Amino acid sequence: MFNKQVGLIHAVDGVSFSINKGETFGLVGESGCGKTTTARAILYIDPPTSGKINFEGKDIVSIFKSKNKEEKLKLRRKIQYVFQNPYASLDPRMTVSDIIIEPLIIHKLVPKKFCYQRLYELLKLVGLEEYHAERYPHEFSGGQRQRICIARALAVEPTLLIADEPVASLDVSVRAQILNLLTELQQKFKTTFLYISHDLSTVRHICHRVAVMYMGRIVEVAKTEDLFEEPLHPYTKALISSIPIPDPLAKKTRIILTGEVPSPINPPVGCRFEARCTYDKDQNCVKNVPKLVDVGNGHFVACEKTKK
Amino acid sequence: MSRYIIRRLLYLIPLFLGILIIVFAATRIAGDPVRLMTALNPHISEQSRINLAHYYGLDQPIYTQFFMYLSQMMAGDLGNSYAIRGGIEVTTLIGDYIGPTMQLQILAMSLALAIAIPVGIISAKKRYSKLDMTVTTTSLLGTCIPVFYMGIIAIIVFSYILGWFPPGSYITQISDTRNYFLGNPTLDILWHMAVPTGVLTFAILAPIVLLVRSSMLEVLKQDYILAARASGLSERVVIYKHALRNALIPVVTYAGIYFGGMLAGAPITETVFNWPGLGRLFVQATTKLDFPVIMGITVVITIMTLIANLITDITYGYIDPRIRME
Amino acid sequence: MVKKILKIENLKTYFYTWAGIVKAVDGVNIDVNEGETLGLVGESGSGKSVTALSIIRIVPSPGKIVEGKIIYKGENLVEKKEKTLQDIRGKEIAYIFQDPATSLNPVFTIANQLVEVILRHQKISKKEALEKAIELFRLVEIPDPEIKIWNYPHQLSGGMKQRMAIARALASQPNLLIADEPTTNLDVTIQAQILELMKNLKKKLGMSMILITHDMGVVADTADRITVLYAGRVCETADTKTIFYNPKHPYTQALLTAVPSLALKTEKLNVIPGSIPNLIKPPKGCRFHPRCEYAQQICTKKIPELTEIEPGHKVACLRATEINLKSPLGGSNN
Ligand SMILES: Nc1ncnc2c1ncn2[C@@H]1O[C@H](COP(=O)(O)OP(=O)(O)OP(=O)(O)O)[C@@H](O)[C@H]1O
Ligand SMILES: Nc1ncnc2c1ncn2[C@@H]1O[C@H](COP(=O)(O)OP(=O)(O)OP(=O)(O)O)[C@@H](O)[C@H]1O
Ligand code: SF4
Ligand code: SF4
Ligand SMILES: [Mg+2]
Ligand SMILES: [Mg+2]
Repeated sequence: MFNKQVGLIHAVDGVSFSINKGETFGLVGESGCGKTTTARAILYIDPPTSGKINFEGKDIVSIFKSKNKEEKLKLRRKIQYVFQNPYASLDPRMTVSDIIIEPLIIHKLVPKKFCYQRLYELLKLVGLEEYHAERYPHEFSGGQRQRICIARALAVEPTLLIADEPVASLDVSVRAQILNLLTELQQKFKTTFLYISHDLSTVRHICHRVAVMYMGRIVEVAKTEDLFEEPLHPYTKALISSIPIPDPLAKKTRIILTGEVPSPINPPVGCRFEARCTYDKDQNCVKNVPKLVDVGNGHFVACEKTKK
Repeated sequence: MSRYIIRRLLYLIPLFLGILIIVFAATRIAGDPVRLMTALNPHISEQSRINLAHYYGLDQPIYTQFFMYLSQMMAGDLGNSYAIRGGIEVTTLIGDYIGPTMQLQILAMSLALAIAIPVGIISAKKRYSKLDMTVTTTSLLGTCIPVFYMGIIAIIVFSYILGWFPPGSYITQISDTRNYFLGNPTLDILWHMAVPTGVLTFAILAPIVLLVRSSMLEVLKQDYILAARASGLSERVVIYKHALRNALIPVVTYAGIYFGGMLAGAPITETVFNWPGLGRLFVQATTKLDFPVIMGITVVITIMTLIANLITDITYGYIDPRIRME
Repeated sequence: MVKKILKIENLKTYFYTWAGIVKAVDGVNIDVNEGETLGLVGESGSGKSVTALSIIRIVPSPGKIVEGKIIYKGENLVEKKEKTLQDIRGKEIAYIFQDPATSLNPVFTIANQLVEVILRHQKISKKEALEKAIELFRLVEIPDPEIKIWNYPHQLSGGMKQRMAIARALASQPNLLIADEPTTNLDVTIQAQILELMKNLKKKLGMSMILITHDMGVVADTADRITVLYAGRVCETADTKTIFYNPKHPYTQALLTAVPSLALKTEKLNVIPGSIPNLIKPPKGCRFHPRCEYAQQICTKKIPELTEIEPGHKVACLRATEINLKSPLGGSNN
């Protein structure tokens, strides 16, 4: 039943979901829409059933399918992942220094004797102290653990860092610390980021461009300002209007969606948003899968009724 | 629900076959059956051996033998004993011995569940109280001490020191009906059962008490318990309706596994209590290398364990709707 | 003068754990006016849920209310017997929990759980109760209530489950509804639906409500007044507009500026250094002082009292009148 969203991966490289070097690209959508699956496909943890993922001009899928160990290891190094849950993604029996040094050794990045020097550099970078190195994960707060995860990912100097809901499990005040850290690192190293989140406010805060997903498909891609100022897809509109604004005097024109989210096991044939769409829908919406089309200025929409 | 039961049943068939194959292979690995059959008569001629092997079909390839065994089993024939009561049919033999085993095991299991569940609940409700401490300590002891050891102690205390109960066996040997306990055969059997049932019940009960207690404590922490309280339901409804059903889910699984374990442990317990059940028959058969009987008992115990498993699964499905619906 | 439906005075709820006494709620004062929605905000671990559970006296062990009064309609609930409290719970004061997935019992049908609660507080027949349950389902806008009611919780989506939990809370038309983060675990579009539904129901049924959340956006939209909690104490209470435009407590202001938001696109988020203190050994004096940028010597010694600085605006900060806080929304606009 679970098809690894072939169409989605096609959309990723075939149309315009290419992430530019050095940018922070946001992938937003509600729970279960396939954000994590996309990330896992890129990392080849859940290999895509078909489709291509181009990374630095090479196809990830064919590299992983080949027997070229060296190339594979190189890819594993260049694309790093920060998980949603900093509690589950650190081995509780390893100290922070083990956790961070391990990838340095696997990928033979620094001579053994310089490992510690690099470790301290990394800790400092993410706002931890040298004395933290010999502690175990359970001795840290959630925010600090997420910093450790980030340090581990940065240790191998990745070109693409995928952060899957890195702040979702953190407290409001700590969330700001991590978001600031990510922005800082991005500016400093010009690392390319794929930032996955269901929280549009944080996405707006740190992303340059954003793709909106709904039930395994990309429905809209645009520059952050364009997307938030002038969303075109009815789903994006509803999504943005649903975010509570922390200003009691702000004018609110909420679009309340009615209808249930269709079952992902048996999705609608045509537009998957059809059941909840607030536009004048017609037969086209039920029958055809709307294509992601450029409406100008790098703004892509997949809706039959939105064609400028 | 009926679809769920059918699914479970279908799943049992390959499982049963698998176990049979393993046991069958094991008995064959143990040695040449003809040699075993004639072990007590070493002077038998080579020709008779060959004749015997042919008679029992032992000269056929092993898989043919297995299918023969299987088809006979389907027809209710488990073969004949090599050594007991002059080659009596295994089915008849098992029929004579299965009653006492089931009596003891089922009674002990039912008693254990009937006592363990309320005790576990009270213990959880009054966590860290004196009562709870006593219950947990006793149960821990019961879990640690092996059944046969407990049995020996119980026999020493209740039969030899206190003299309240007989030290073993199923019923008073009939030389005179007045020798029956209170002159009644049924009461006499019950009188003989008291110590074995008590020991077995305690052995089963102890780990279940601990399980009910910890499972209950876990459930009482859940939001839906708080929510039940928050809607004004009385403590009785909260505990016995909302918490209990959820707390029983792991208990049911455990009880099923444990029942199988008890049956497998029957040889030891029944020997200790000189109880004329399948377990003791098994021990007898083993000492005489009576493979058809060993095989037959294994088949019966496997079937009973699988039935216990099925009952567990059905209860499980009844308690937890999430299982029932996949 | 507005009538108060609930008045909490100097509430202290402690947890007696092996590691020590967790002073989860330590001298909290809260008022809820009749017909209003009070927003209770604060970071995780600030004591929001424990305060709310204390109100209906269902703090789980090893927690105990050690001091304080909870005055509901003139009567002190702290002194009431368990039996009396059971009659109040669900009938007078109802509760909605954070996680709809865990607040419904997984092994009973929705109908079973709903009818049970209806029968608990109303003397009607089972059949009437079932009709009433279906009626409630309609009220919370669940499609095909006659069918859905026979489902088990795991067969419903998150949003539906929360609707069902709301239906259960509303079963006996409570006067006060406590909603503990009712939308935190839901998707934004579903959150919008549920908040809208709750607002409408509140109006329709004339209830008062305590809405617990850590999302400043949600309170801005829903609450009439706001109480900010930090480490088991109240920092500030005022009407919603004042809290957002004219905060007087450094923590309130920090909370406002730490949230990435659509309304205020700032380059860098304001960071509150450190994290919420250990409540077994909370900081002396003002509990916020280790993280407060305005802290002075005195803050480490003296416990700030909750004092009214303007009508209806109470602050617990020793320097409330000296420091000049600016709201990220553009400061005071009174
Ligand atoms: N291992 C799996 N087996 C079957 N289905 C799966 C598996 N992993 C994910 N799915 C399904 O794929 C869909 C996409 O899941 P995914 O985890 O990518 O969502 P997501 O957008 O990351 O959601 P969230 O915000 O909840 O993390 C979901 O409907 C999910 O149920
Ligand atoms: N059963 C318990 N045992 C010990 N401490 C507890 C218990 N329940 C709560 N606490 C403590 O009480 C404090 C307040 O918890 P509370 O649940 O009220 O926080 P909250 O403000 O509701 O946070 P959240 O936003 O995470 O729900 C926390 O420090 C917590 O550790
Ligand atoms: S394609 Fe049709 S149904 Fe889909 S979003 Fe556009 S208008 Fe709505
Ligand atoms: S009392 Fe002092 S430490 Fe506390 S909030 Fe006011 S200024 Fe900050
Ligand atoms: Mg995910
Ligand atoms: Mg809480």
